[in-house]
Amino acid sequence: MSVSNIISNLNRLSLQATVRQAVLYRNISASSAVQFRITPSLLAEPLKKKKRLDPAVIRAREERRKKKIEKQIRRLEKNARQLKPIDECEVSLQILDERDKRVRHLPSVSPEVLDKRAKIEKSWCQYKQQQHLADVQMLDRVSFAEQKALDELRKESEELYQQAIQPDFYFIPFSCQGPVETLPIENYDVPDGDYVDVSKKWE
Amino acid sequence: MIKNALRILQTPSTSSVHFRNLSKAPSASPSKPEKWDLLTAICVERKPALTPPLTDLEKEYKQYLQEVEYERSLKSDHEMKLEAEKKVLESLKAGETIEDLDVNLKQTAQDFADACVEELAQFKPADRLTEADRRNDLKSLQRKLDKHLVLVVQQRIGKEKHFLLPQGLRQDGESLRQTAERVLKENCGSDIQARIYGNAPCGFYKYKYPKDVRGGGSGGAVGAKVFFYFARYLNGRLPEKDVDYKWLDRKELYKTLPAPYNRSVSEFLFDE
Repeated sequence: MSVSNIISNLNRLSLQATVRQAVLYRNISASSAVQFRITPSLLAEPLKKKKRLDPAVIRAREERRKKKIEKQIRRLEKNARQLKPIDECEVSLQILDERDKRVRHLPSVSPEVLDKRAKIEKSWCQYKQQQHLADVQMLDRVSFAEQKALDELRKESEELYQQAIQPDFYFIPFSCQGPVETLPIENYDVPDGDYVDVSKKWE
Repeated sequence: MIKNALRILQTPSTSSVHFRNLSKAPSASPSKPEKWDLLTAICVERKPALTPPLTDLEKEYKQYLQEVEYERSLKSDHEMKLEAEKKVLESLKAGETIEDLDVNLKQTAQDFADACVEELAQFKPADRLTEADRRNDLKSLQRKLDKHLVLVVQQRIGKEKHFLLPQGLRQDGESLRQTAERVLKENCGSDIQARIYGNAPCGFYKYKYPKDVRGGGSGGAVGAKVFFYFARYLNGRLPEKDVDYKWLDRKELYKTLPAPYNRSVSEFLFDE
């Protein structure tokens, strides 16, 4: 319905524009007093009759939707009650009570040691900065090499180039297992028994 | 396949320089486009399993951080227990009698600490050097566990044999990446598995064939353009027969490869 309305409105607009011009030339008035009406053109076909659904089916559908939402609400409510405790963020009361007793009374650090520490900090900063610089330069070099290879490939064949620039989604999301300090010993007999994960499950 | 391609180059030639710096090579007339053979080489790299050893500065900094952390920390339960027991012992020595008979029965904190130290001393972590390191077995994947190792395979180029990254000619209808996968299979057997990183080549190298070979059997090509693909070694072994190969770390690799080729390879490899 709304579409046909819009169309008729638009039609009228465009017609009126021409009519107004005609008015100037032929002296025809289109004011309401004259009762001059322009019929909107009807471009739409009659709407299809809506299919009647079985009321039982509708009711069942409604019921199912309701149940689904109720289930979700129930699940949310259940979880709202159960917050996952963050053990590592909660200091036990006993430790808080004994805080004064637990302070280490160490002799204050000598100025030489402080000097040495400051030097270590500085050289560490330089070391890390150089490392970062080297990394950035290396990445630059590697991406330059890749770009050069692609440019050369494009000179040879556009088709091969297009195949080469397709993204490879295998590494997304990326994960890797880093190197370790010492390898696990093969066939190692664990003296303390088996490892059992007893941490609580919070859902 | 690759052997055929390379055998073409084995026609008698007086010059032995096959790796020629291209910038010096004379360029052909611009009207007629030169034909180049497209080759794909695959750089299979094994990831290090071990972290590299700490440098002196890193060790020093680690030590410093540990000291500061100790100074800022509070005493642990174990330390509290240890101190309490010390006090009891001192008072016992002084002759006071406390009704603490069960002190001797249970394990004291000191005993516990001693036992821990002893257990730690008994434990020997796995050696960072392996059997392959001691024998300097270049074919073993167990060597130099803290280094990136790159696979090089001996191949005939012209008259000479070189240790190069496995390479081969592209066939019609293949993308370069498919060529890389095929090249690996043909050169190193079907057991070895590697994951190629991306569809794009990561490096490029080109060289001209010697003049007397050029335009002959190789379909009129003046030289070869080699596109490198980077791949991560996953698992599997190379066949013992037919192939002469080495797993080399960066230093060894740069020494082994021919100089101009090496320049292209070292450009796309990550430093250690």
